[in-house]
Amino acid sequence: MKLGAWIVWTAVAMAFGGVVLAGYFVQWQTLLELRLLFMRWAILLSATALLLGILNLLAAHLHKVNLQESGWPYSALLIVILLGTLVLGLVFGPDNRVVLSLFEYIQLPVEATLMALLAVSLAAAGVRMVMRRRDIYSLIFIGTALLVLLGTAPWPLGGTGLSATFGWLRNWLAQVWAAGAARGIVLGVALGAVTTGLRVLLGADRPYGD
Amino acid sequence: MNFDWVGLAILLVFVFLLLLFAALGRRWPASFRRLPAYEALGAAIERAVEAGERVHVSLGTGSVIGPESAPAMAGLVVLSKVAAATVMSDRPAVATTADGAMAVLAQDTLRTAHARVGAADRYQPTAGRMLGATPYSYAAGLPVVLATEGVSVHILTGSFGAEGALAADFGERRHAFVIAGSDDVHAQALLHATADNPLIGEEVFAGGAYLNAGVFHGASLRAQDVIRVLVILAILAGTLLRTLGIGL
Repeated sequence: MKLGAWIVWTAVAMAFGGVVLAGYFVQWQTLLELRLLFMRWAILLSATALLLGILNLLAAHLHKVNLQESGWPYSALLIVILLGTLVLGLVFGPDNRVVLSLFEYIQLPVEATLMALLAVSLAAAGVRMVMRRRDIYSLIFIGTALLVLLGTAPWPLGGTGLSATFGWLRNWLAQVWAAGAARGIVLGVALGAVTTGLRVLLGADRPYGD
Repeated sequence: MNFDWVGLAILLVFVFLLLLFAALGRRWPASFRRLPAYEALGAAIERAVEAGERVHVSLGTGSVIGPESAPAMAGLVVLSKVAAATVMSDRPAVATTADGAMAVLAQDTLRTAHARVGAADRYQPTAGRMLGATPYSYAAGLPVVLATEGVSVHILTGSFGAEGALAADFGERRHAFVIAGSDDVHAQALLHATADNPLIGEEVFAGGAYLNAGVFHGASLRAQDVIRVLVILAILAGTLLRTLGIGL
């Protein structure tokens, strides 16, 4: 019974994945329409999975509140706000001023704060990296970062010769060395992504379980 | 009916190489270059299991639909191996993501790993969870997970943007073992600075091969290497022809 189950899941994944992949290489109307249909189904399933994810999040935090595990007040707050936002969205609709305000005055500022925190975190991480990993790569990394900063940041006395030199150096580093290295990395990532997808299509990887 | 012959040929060569190296895998074992991050991961997981601490696997902030799903799929393989190693410990591994569908896949992976070692009753559906629906809300939820779950090994293997740097930094601040990789080039630069064990380039896809997840993972790396050499030769040939004024 169990053997049969995973064979069915694998066959379904291979068939649907194969049709969608073939649609990229074969320009045949029926195949293109089929690919589009499968993609629409995938989007619908993904939206349903989002709902499942939210229910799972709710369950995890309810469990914490029930057991009064450490940090449970935060979980309680999350549940209250999650349900509150859901009720407001269902009652007033997603375009309502009140619902939009929740995003505008709570979610967006919190996310912007985290982005700002990122700059501080990176500065601290740079110092930490120099302290912990004293190798040639770290020195090149930090040295390049400093040169790019000097070439990007405004200088106190405006466009002096030194700032122009650093500006030129920054462009040279970014457009020649960094761009070349980034293309090599992107090539490697693309090859890795293709083999990962092929493993799923060939049934070697089964992320949907046995 | 029109065919993209070039694309189709490359794909078929890829599939052929993958199957060939998978078939040869046992008779002709591959030897991979050293990746200190993956070498240290095994010891870090052992230490966490012995100390009764948790391993956390983050599958990133990308969705299942789209190109950013590939590193998360590779991350699910790592999760499967990590879950198998920690399933009988006091604190089995947990996985988080910013996508609902990916959370379902993480739960399936954890459930399967538990079932394979005969510990299906120990599986908790909340071990695989969605933390937030947007990249930064996901990052905002991470410190609570790391603190309350007693995480000492923090594995970031998925698609991350700039928020990945924050996610790695939260782990470093807890003095956890942090290994982090992403498919995004900019995120990789940030992770190089914030994580003690960064994964560069396609290393994020190599977890399965380095953690012995099966012959197909080793075969993937070999097939990638062959295609990479062919691409490099094509680039060099194109550069040479263009330099000589021969248009293609």
